[in-house]
Amino acid sequence: DDEIHVRQKVTEIDPQEEADFERELRALMQESLDSRKLELRARPALNMMIPMNVFEGSTKDHHGRGAEGESGDETLDEDAGGSKEVQVKVLVKRGNKQQTKQMYIPRDCSLVQSTKQKEAAELEE
Amino acid sequence: EETGDDESYEFGKGDFTEHACRYCGVQNPACVVRCNVPSCRKWFCNSRGNTSGSHIVNHLVRAKHKEVCLHKDSPLGETILECYNCGCRNVFLLGFISAKTESVVVLLCREPCLSVNALKDMNWDLSQWCPLIDDRCFLQWLVKVPSEQEQLRARQISAQQINKVEELWKTNPDATLEDLEKPGVDDEPQPIALKYEDAYQYQNVFAPLIKLEADYDKMMKESQSKDNVTIRWDIGLNKKRIAYFVFPKEDNELRLVPGDELRLRYSGDAAHPAWQSVGHVIKLTAQEEVALELRASQGVPVDVNHGFSVDFVWKSTSFDRMQGAMKTFAVDETSVSGYIYHHLLGHEVEVQMVRNTLPRRFGAPGLPELNASQVFAVKSVLQKPVSLIQGPPGTGKTVTSAAIVYHMAKQGQGQVLVCAPSNVAVDQLAEKISATGLKVVRLCAKSREAVSSPVEHLTLHYQVRHLDTSEKSELHKLQQLKDEQGELSSSDEKKYKALKRATEREISQSADVICCTCVGAGDPRLSNFRFRQVLIDESTQATEPECLIPLVLGAKQVVLVGDHCQLGPVIMCKKAARAGLAQSLFERLVLLGVKPIRLQVQYRMHPSLSEFPSNSFYEGTLQNGVTINERQSPGIDFPWPVPNRPMFFYVQMGQEEISASGTSYLNRTEAANVEKIVTTFLRSGVVPGQIGVITPYEGQRAYIVNYMSRNGALRQQLYKEIEVASVDSFQGREKDYIILSCVRSNEHQGIGFLNDPRRLNVALTRARYGIVILGNPKVLSKQPLWNGLLTHYKEHECLVEGPLNNLKQSMVQFQKPKKIYN
Ligand SMILES: [Zn+2]
Ligand SMILES: [Zn+2]
Ligand SMILES: [Zn+2]
Repeated sequence: DDEIHVRQKVTEIDPQEEADFERELRALMQESLDSRKLELRARPALNMMIPMNVFEGSTKDHHGRGAEGESGDETLDEDAGGSKEVQVKVLVKRGNKQQTKQMYIPRDCSLVQSTKQKEAAELEE
Repeated sequence: EETGDDESYEFGKGDFTEHACRYCGVQNPACVVRCNVPSCRKWFCNSRGNTSGSHIVNHLVRAKHKEVCLHKDSPLGETILECYNCGCRNVFLLGFISAKTESVVVLLCREPCLSVNALKDMNWDLSQWCPLIDDRCFLQWLVKVPSEQEQLRARQISAQQINKVEELWKTNPDATLEDLEKPGVDDEPQPIALKYEDAYQYQNVFAPLIKLEADYDKMMKESQSKDNVTIRWDIGLNKKRIAYFVFPKEDNELRLVPGDELRLRYSGDAAHPAWQSVGHVIKLTAQEEVALELRASQGVPVDVNHGFSVDFVWKSTSFDRMQGAMKTFAVDETSVSGYIYHHLLGHEVEVQMVRNTLPRRFGAPGLPELNASQVFAVKSVLQKPVSLIQGPPGTGKTVTSAAIVYHMAKQGQGQVLVCAPSNVAVDQLAEKISATGLKVVRLCAKSREAVSSPVEHLTLHYQVRHLDTSEKSELHKLQQLKDEQGELSSSDEKKYKALKRATEREISQSADVICCTCVGAGDPRLSNFRFRQVLIDESTQATEPECLIPLVLGAKQVVLVGDHCQLGPVIMCKKAARAGLAQSLFERLVLLGVKPIRLQVQYRMHPSLSEFPSNSFYEGTLQNGVTINERQSPGIDFPWPVPNRPMFFYVQMGQEEISASGTSYLNRTEAANVEKIVTTFLRSGVVPGQIGVITPYEGQRAYIVNYMSRNGALRQQLYKEIEVASVDSFQGREKDYIILSCVRSNEHQGIGFLNDPRRLNVALTRARYGIVILGNPKVLSKQPLWNGLLTHYKEHECLVEGPLNNLKQSMVQFQKPKKIYN
């Protein structure tokens, strides 16, 4: 049996340390938010079109190996086992070029709620 | 079969793989991200280990870094995480959204992109924005958490070690965890002593402390860069460009002061090339804006207002001058007289008297008559080579100092040097000394020449510009040319500089008194000057090495004025403070047995207000130079609980909160009641300029300003004119009416800043006519001094609660004070 068992050291987190850290983290978030809010009315131009090729053959076979898209799609080599995960395409920009990458995200992630609803709707059809 | 091809293996390099987590060594590419701050670029993993946040989140928070990049072998490939729409890279603002109909997700920033309505119409679902950092960890499907096995094999780093190594990285970015074990890193510096063998030993103790403080100051200020700053442009009277912008400040952190140097940057766009310029802060407006005068007016993108960055340009000048003064003290035998040399080092020296004929009267023209303790002070000081004057609040320190300087100058021993750590104090003294008829030159730092001063006519740069004699016409011509063109040809510039220097010298040499800050005394323009007589005001607010700068210009007679019962110098570096850098020379001399001459009559406070401070801080010796009648304000109808006793402690039970900045505190209930008190004062006929609101916390200060301007019952303008300040910044100042908001109100955390008796002393002694204190007696009474104050107010029936128009004595129970063992 190759598997080794190490007695897990019970890690106790100092509540004071935790509170301090939480405070600093929140401060940084707040500061980040405030610094953006100060930038009054400098609303960015919209630049959020989803490239057409993303739609082609995307959701039909969730676990299939998608074809290389024109914008440089890459697929994961490993299969995301079971149905605990959902495949999504992450849209990113490389310079001015749009690119999608496939990733698996947990099914219970709030992000995929709408996708799930849609799947449910499809099933009913 | 082994090929023996060793070169392709990197033996023993496991720990040094570039992308290994710098905390724990985990190196699975799917589990690590790189901090994308150019000066950092370190890798961290997404496991929590023994800490409350994952390693990468720990690093970003501790280092205040905000950008990351994924590993090239991670599922997403080498990717800098940024907002798909606007390119914002601040991970604390980023989160994923998904398309409504497709399983496509994208990173979007929370502000402003998430609130752009048009996105909803574009097939994006904005309702389920999923933050990148959740539960103090990066989204685990994006950056994997190392397996249990991997984590067990990794280095078990503790939160303390993380803090230490992050601290170390601020000064040495390549440091490793092993460096933490090396001697020296964690050692406390040698503490200050009471006595020193010689000036070399003195230097050996203080030089490292100044170095620590300088390093800390540099690190802190240079880390204060702000992006996305919005600029409002203006042109100054001198035709130079001025940029106005908001630069937020926090407790214990950077506070900009006029004269500070900042760099303004614009990264450029289609219509504008990248641009940057340095400038000096010339003022801070009441609306909390910084006014920055730019050095170069050319190419300024004045038609752009958004997207600027601001960096602090740190200057080592003041620290260099302290180090220089210590060196001079050690190597130059003429730097100070032998008596002063030994006296400062704590050696036994026989008492020496200065042989001078004493003046017949000790007052000076242009100044108010001196009282007995002031006369005594002037008289003693003139006869001694080293003396200390303790000036409790409102006892006429400045007038006494001016009288001393007047008599010193009349003794014909050459020019007198007058210094203080702060510019405000130097200006006040310069004004008073000038009133005696002495010729005063106020030397300002070059960086502060554009800062307006109440004694501008006394400043050297003003006098140089306005010395309007015919011989100087050449300098004037060149000056005009320079003003008009912005620059001179190199030969003209040379001529201009030489002429200016000669004129500066001439004016300075003809003065009776030179006034400057302690650091200013190290100005190269004074390098050839010698001063036998030196007076330092506010000396209890300066560090020892700072005080030394004016002394090593040949001092034979030294007067240190101050009050060690009020706040001392601000030391930012905790290590240096622990080692004793916060103790002033004045205090050490007191400990060495020099008895300060105390000014005993206070002319500021209503006698009811001076009673507690006198008993608690000055052994009851403070006498009142003002009567109750002189501190009555006829026609002002304010609901003081006891007539003729214009003070009360207003019992507050509201909770304290951590402010938005995370580094300070606020208390909403107290703020709301401050507004009510202010309004009641205003309605009773008090004008805004008479009222000062003070509080120990920046968070509360900012909150009160905001609250009053939004919720003030009267005209908004009235509230804007009311000064709301920190207790510390009010030292040395006064108002007719003071409202003190204590803020702290919690079960277990203690009272922080309020613990320092010297801060309480300062807070209680700012008011002339009346004071209102808002605080939670239950919490404050645990501290002995506050307990005493509360008891004092209670005994005088001034501890009250309820609505302002129906104040009732409070029956709140105090807690037993904790004994202080000292
Ligand atoms: Zn970093
Ligand atoms: Zn790690
Ligand atoms: Zn954005």
